[in-house]
Amino acid sequence: MADVTSSRQGTQTEDKPQIDMNMVAIAMHRRSRRLGLYFWIPMIWLVIVAVACIFAPFWGLPPADEIDWVYIQSPPVEGHPLGTDNLGRDLLSRIVWGGRVSLTVGFAAPFIGVGLGLILGLIAGYYRGWADEVIGILIDAWLAIPGLVVLLLFSVVFGGSLFMVCVSLGLLFIPTAARITRAATLNYAGREFVLAAKAMGASDFRIMRKEIFPNIIWPLIAFILIDIPIAIVIEGALSFLGLSVKAPTPSWGGIIAEGREVLSTYPHIAMYPTLVMFVTVLSFNLVGDAIRRRLADVREGAI
Amino acid sequence: MHMGEIILDVRDQRTSFATARGMLAAVDGVSFTLQRGRTLGVVGESGSGKSVLSRSIMRLLPGNAVVPGGSRVILNGRDLTRLSEAELRRLRGPEMAIVFQDPMTSLNPVLSIGRQIMEVLMFHLGMKKRAARARAIELLTAVGLPQPDVRVDQYPHQLSGGMRQRVAIAIAIACEPDLLIADEPTTALDVTVQAEILDLLQRMVRERNMAMILITHDMGVVAGRCDDVAVMYAGRIVEQAPVRDLFRNTRMPYTAALLASIPKVTDPPHRKLDAIDGRPPDLINPPPGCPFAPRCKLADADCDQGKPMLEGPAGHLFACIRPLGQETAA
Amino acid sequence: MRYLLYRLRRLAIVLGVVTFITFLLVNVLPGDVAYEMAGMDSTEEEVQEIREELGLNRPVLIRYVEWVGGVFTGDWGTSYINKENVWDAVTDRFPVSFELMLLAQILALSMAIPAGMASAFRPNGRADRIIGALAFASVSMPSFMTAILLIFVFALGLGWLPATGYEPLSTGLWANLKPMILPALSLALVEWTILMRTLRVEMISVLQENYIALARAKGMSNLRILWVHALRPSSFSMITLLGLQVARLLGGTIIIEQIFGIPGIGRLLIHAVYTRDFIVIQGCVTFFALAFVTANFLVDVAYAWLDPRVRTGGSHG
Ligand SMILES: Nc1ncnc2c1ncn2[C@@H]1O[C@H](COP(=O)(O)OP(=O)(O)OP(=O)(O)O)[C@@H](O)[C@H]1O
Ligand SMILES: [Mg+2]
Repeated sequence: MADVTSSRQGTQTEDKPQIDMNMVAIAMHRRSRRLGLYFWIPMIWLVIVAVACIFAPFWGLPPADEIDWVYIQSPPVEGHPLGTDNLGRDLLSRIVWGGRVSLTVGFAAPFIGVGLGLILGLIAGYYRGWADEVIGILIDAWLAIPGLVVLLLFSVVFGGSLFMVCVSLGLLFIPTAARITRAATLNYAGREFVLAAKAMGASDFRIMRKEIFPNIIWPLIAFILIDIPIAIVIEGALSFLGLSVKAPTPSWGGIIAEGREVLSTYPHIAMYPTLVMFVTVLSFNLVGDAIRRRLADVREGAI
Repeated sequence: MHMGEIILDVRDQRTSFATARGMLAAVDGVSFTLQRGRTLGVVGESGSGKSVLSRSIMRLLPGNAVVPGGSRVILNGRDLTRLSEAELRRLRGPEMAIVFQDPMTSLNPVLSIGRQIMEVLMFHLGMKKRAARARAIELLTAVGLPQPDVRVDQYPHQLSGGMRQRVAIAIAIACEPDLLIADEPTTALDVTVQAEILDLLQRMVRERNMAMILITHDMGVVAGRCDDVAVMYAGRIVEQAPVRDLFRNTRMPYTAALLASIPKVTDPPHRKLDAIDGRPPDLINPPPGCPFAPRCKLADADCDQGKPMLEGPAGHLFACIRPLGQETAA
Repeated sequence: MRYLLYRLRRLAIVLGVVTFITFLLVNVLPGDVAYEMAGMDSTEEEVQEIREELGLNRPVLIRYVEWVGGVFTGDWGTSYINKENVWDAVTDRFPVSFELMLLAQILALSMAIPAGMASAFRPNGRADRIIGALAFASVSMPSFMTAILLIFVFALGLGWLPATGYEPLSTGLWANLKPMILPALSLALVEWTILMRTLRVEMISVLQENYIALARAKGMSNLRILWVHALRPSSFSMITLLGLQVARLLGGTIIIEQIFGIPGIGRLLIHAVYTRDFIVIQGCVTFFALAFVTANFLVDVAYAWLDPRVRTGGSHG
């Protein structure tokens, strides 16, 4: 893009070499629209993690809660490639099984939240009036409570099943999803094609589904992409506090919390899951960013 | 005609922009000189490169601008193209200053107008805060801002457009520059205010013995207020002459078309100035010959053979091989 | 003014909804506080008795109204577990959390502002790309991870700073700040990225403004242009975000206080959650919501400071 903000006084060229300035100019502006290494390397990592987690039972890993009395708090040894934790449980196995929780929550929560937010936002944006006002107040109230507090309450009230973790985490994504939907709906609800559909006697539901929904789906998909790593991070925080899925089901945050107790003596117990979680979240962020940019390009008609 | 010292000497200024489609030649070989005490009017349609030329002189170009090595801008004997950014900074203000087109957006909304004047005085002249403030009030008085001692603490949004342009002029003349560039200083203002601002600029130039480049696309503005006129088209000067000469003895068909577009008193108000048919050429892939040829009624096949040079007798230069007034002469 | 009144009314309703939802939630706790108090091997009758005693058998709505009445008269109830006055408990611990959050925001801002400026100055330039990459890494690192890494390096490894603990201000400023540095940094290292990105976007567009071009034409240096001319007009979204971030930050302090053993309001809440001390939970959440609302009111005040158009009522003189 044009670097118009800089104060460099342009380039004063010495006009000796006869290079085609037109080609240089075009080259300067051609943004690589292909997905580069920053997409593919994290993508490969994510595929590895996903395959490892989905097919966890088939790798011949020791069960995640099996205690190996010979090796307790051991650094990597034969049979335990990443060593064992406080209780002598295989760390690799726990990380893989914990990944199942993280990935499930990471995908399920944003979809739940965006789904509910979509419904609320459509209603608010399409019907306006008091429905809009009520939904607005609910959303404001929701935003005024720190997300983690909501989760704490839910975890205590509804217990630590994976399903409830997904649902309560999903609730956190409602406000933003609803706001995005509402704004987009407001934008489209007054357009000619919607008015035309109305004039032809289409039902409200049909109009929302056929005319409005296809137009607002892209910002929401972009939003889901941002939310996946966020959901993984929050689940991590929750399980770090021991308020996610119930023990002994392993989860990344939980393993890190256990490792924290022995950080000074056996740092590897906290460090391996930290590393895995960091790289995974980073990968989701990078991949999501690349896809979002591409979506934007496609929608701008650049491709 | 008295000859003063030469303040500004622009030689073969070329400014291109690297764009996604290729190099856009916004200023394409402009040369002129300007003497102390004189005002040069630069006229041309929108997009003809007037603003880019003024920023090229100030060396305030964006990062995608490319200036070839042969271009020279010599201000008070110093070649600006050879100076570092820090050296240039010391000249902007004390030796050259600019007034922008839109006073609504050219003042910082979060700083009081006093501060915006004072910082120039403090940075360039090393004034202390108190002295700078007093000087700022003097300057505001000089540019005819009512209640200057109150206004000095106000913010741009509290002033009308005309008042803001007065403030912008106060900023520009704060360090008594030798060269003042006014880039369409009145285009955004009410008609009634326009004349006032132009009068003010004229008075400042005369009182302080500066040189001014007055950029406009309105031939009417040029008529009473400039000594010389340069007409720009597609990044080049296509005709240059003392004002009277240009109006009386127009040679370039493009200039004639511009003159025909001066609004008449008899025109309905807010008439659109679209007098010249056709569109300006694409600056990325310019036509091989005279850039005005495609729109010119007098053009023939010869006009598409190479770009005409800017030349002519006795200070009246034009870049045209089929100039007006030729028929009678021949 | 009309708008301000509308905002105030809306805020009041929001607070009402927040407290009511919380009240509903904590009152459907399956293992309610009565079980907790009666002990493991108590009979159903004993539990019923405690319920009776605490008034837990009456309809939720009535109890909510009573509780709200209490809040307005300064009576936030008493902890079921240790009989501590909730208002006292909350206000005792809040200053500690407040200090932590304030430090975190200051650290985050002092990273975000220079970084955002450096990025915006030349978008896609080298500095922008390096800062962008750092920001990516930073958001991918939740505060509890950062905390553990910081402890590992600076407390356990280098031994520069304590890993846990809290010292009141009365023991001296440095003694008080020292154990706060790592916790505040853990929070700031996540928060700065969002602030930085917001500032960057807004500043990029501000730097295209005519008044920046004029500042250049006045011979001002780049640094002065960034700090004096561009920063304030570029800060509006960032300031709004500072207000909204308070909710995130309150959430963050819960974990961070837990990790670093800081006796703030987060610890109080977690403890109340573990012991199902719902009147304390209720108090904490109400206080959080109040803090959030106040912070966002302060943001409106900050606008007035930033923007003379707001301050002077936008009148034309
Ligand atoms: N930063 C830039 N990047 C690319 N092209 C530019 C840039 N700045 C100006 N141009 C192009 O340079 C040409 C000349 O622009 P300029 O602003 O000098 O015209 P002008 O004569 O001042 O017109 P107006 O009367 O509208 O102010 C235009 O075609 C414009 O699109
Ligand atoms: Mg212009």
